[in-house]
Amino acid sequence: MREVYVAGIGITSFSRLEYPLAEIAAYPAMLALRDAGLKAVDQVYVANMGSARINNQTALGSAVVDTLGLTPTGAERIENGPASGASAVKQGFLGVAAGMYEAVLVTGCERMREVNNLEATDFVATMTHPLAEYIYGVTLPAHAAMFTRLYMERYGVTARHLAMVAVKNHANAMLNPFAHLHQPITVEGILDSPEAFTNNPYVAEPLRFFDCCPVSDGGAAVILASREKMAELGKPLIRLAGIGQATDTLAVFERPDPTDLLAVRRSAASAFAMAGLTPGDVHVAELHDAFTILEIVESEEAGFFPKGEGHLALEKGATALGGPLPINPSGGLKGKGHPVGATGVGQVHEIVTQLRGDAGERQVAGAKVGFTCNFGGFGNNVISMVFVREE
Amino acid sequence: MERQIHAYACRRCGALHYPFRMVCRECGENGPHEFDPVPLPKEGTLLTFTFVHNLPAEYEVARLGLGVVELSNGLRMLGQLDIADPKLGMKVVGEVEVVRREAYARRYGMVFRAA
Ligand SMILES: [Zn+2]
Repeated sequence: MREVYVAGIGITSFSRLEYPLAEIAAYPAMLALRDAGLKAVDQVYVANMGSARINNQTALGSAVVDTLGLTPTGAERIENGPASGASAVKQGFLGVAAGMYEAVLVTGCERMREVNNLEATDFVATMTHPLAEYIYGVTLPAHAAMFTRLYMERYGVTARHLAMVAVKNHANAMLNPFAHLHQPITVEGILDSPEAFTNNPYVAEPLRFFDCCPVSDGGAAVILASREKMAELGKPLIRLAGIGQATDTLAVFERPDPTDLLAVRRSAASAFAMAGLTPGDVHVAELHDAFTILEIVESEEAGFFPKGEGHLALEKGATALGGPLPINPSGGLKGKGHPVGATGVGQVHEIVTQLRGDAGERQVAGAKVGFTCNFGGFGNNVISMVFVREE
Repeated sequence: MERQIHAYACRRCGALHYPFRMVCRECGENGPHEFDPVPLPKEGTLLTFTFVHNLPAEYEVARLGLGVVELSNGLRMLGQLDIADPKLGMKVVGEVEVVRREAYARRYGMVFRAA
C-alpha cells in the first residue's frame, strides 16, 4: 500500500444552514481544494446519511460533483449511518493507497434541520433493528440512556461526570468559530441550581438535554493525496497512518457484556496496529460524544484509560485542553455539533488543524499524533483513525 | 390465540437466535430454512431501562418506558415497560401488544409488567 496524506481541509459552520444540501457539501470542498492548491481531483466521495429521507434527494455524488464544476470526475455517495464520514475517508484512502488515484476529495454533509427535532430523532432511529428495536419507539438517546444506567451502576459514573463532559466540550466549542453551540455552561447551571431541571430536562432518563448533542446542519471536506502529489503541493505532511473498522450486533441487547463497546475497542486496536503506534503515543483525540457517556467510554475502549476509569481521568482534568490528553478540543459532537454525514470528516478536519498547529486558542501544544473515533449506530459500526505529522 | 414473538433455533447446533439472522453465529450453518421458530418465554429479569421523553408524534404518551429483559431461557430482548417505578433486577412478565401505530399498520411487540 502507498502512504496517504491529508493535503487540504475545509469546513462550514455546524449550525442551521439555509442553503441546498449539495452546496453544504460543495462549500467545504471548495475550501479544501483551495487549501491544497488544487483545481481538480481524480475522484469525489460524498458522505451523507439522510438525503433520501430528509431532503428528498438521491444520487448525491452526481449533484455534488456537478455543483463543484468537476464533471466528468467520478463521484459516489457513501452511507454508513453516523460513521458515513469516516467510511468515505476510508474509501478515499483506499483509492490513493491502491495507486488508482493521486488525489481525491472526500466531503461529508448533512441537512437535518429541514425537519423538526422529533422527525430528526426518528430518522436517526431508523438505523436500529427494524423488528427488535425500532418498532418499540427506541431512539438513540434511549439506547445511550439504558447503557448509561448500567455504566453508573457498575463503574460509579454519576450525572455530575456526564455534566463535566458537557461543560468541557461547550468550553472548547467557545474557542471554535465553526461550532454549533457558543454557549458556556456550568455544572451548577445544568445540575445543581433550582432552575437546573427546567434548563436541562430529561430526554431519556437518566440522560438530560445537555447530555445529548444538538441536531446540526453542516459540511466538512478533506483532500487525500499520495506522497508524490504532496511533493508538488508543499503542504504540511499529515499522514493517515492507521484505519480500523469493526462492527457489532445490530440489536444492542444481544451483546454479551452490555457495558462493552467492542467495536470501538477493536477498531482502535486495528488502527493503532496499522500505524505501529499505541494509545500512549496520542497527543490529541476527537471522540464521538453524541452523548456525554460516549466520550467517557470511548476514551477507555480506545485504550487511553483502563476500563471503568475514564470518568476518573475526566475528573482530574486529564482530557481538558491543557491536560495530558485533550479530548474533543473542537467541542466534539456535543459543542461543535453533529451533522451526521459530516461528523467523521469534521473530526479529521480538527485533527489535521491541530497537527498543523493552526488551532489558535484551542491548539494542543506540540501535537504530532492524533486519533479519531467515528461511532455508527449504537456502536455497531465504528471507524478509528490515527494521524501522524511528519517533518 | 395468544400472540407470540419467536426466537430461532439452529437445526444443526441448537443455538437460539433473537432476532432472526440467516446464518447461525455459533456453527456457521447457512440458510433461512435451517432454523425452527420457538416462542420466546415471557418471564424474565429487568437488566436496564429508560423513560424516553422526546417521542415520535404517533406516541400519545408523555414518556415511554423501555427496558432490556433477560428472559428465562437466557435470551435478551428489548420491550416496552408498563411499570411506574422500575428497578434493576426486578422480575417482569410480558404480553404481546400493539407497540407502535403507523399510518396503515399496527406493530406488535412485547410489553412488560411487574411479575
Ligand atoms: Zn448453529
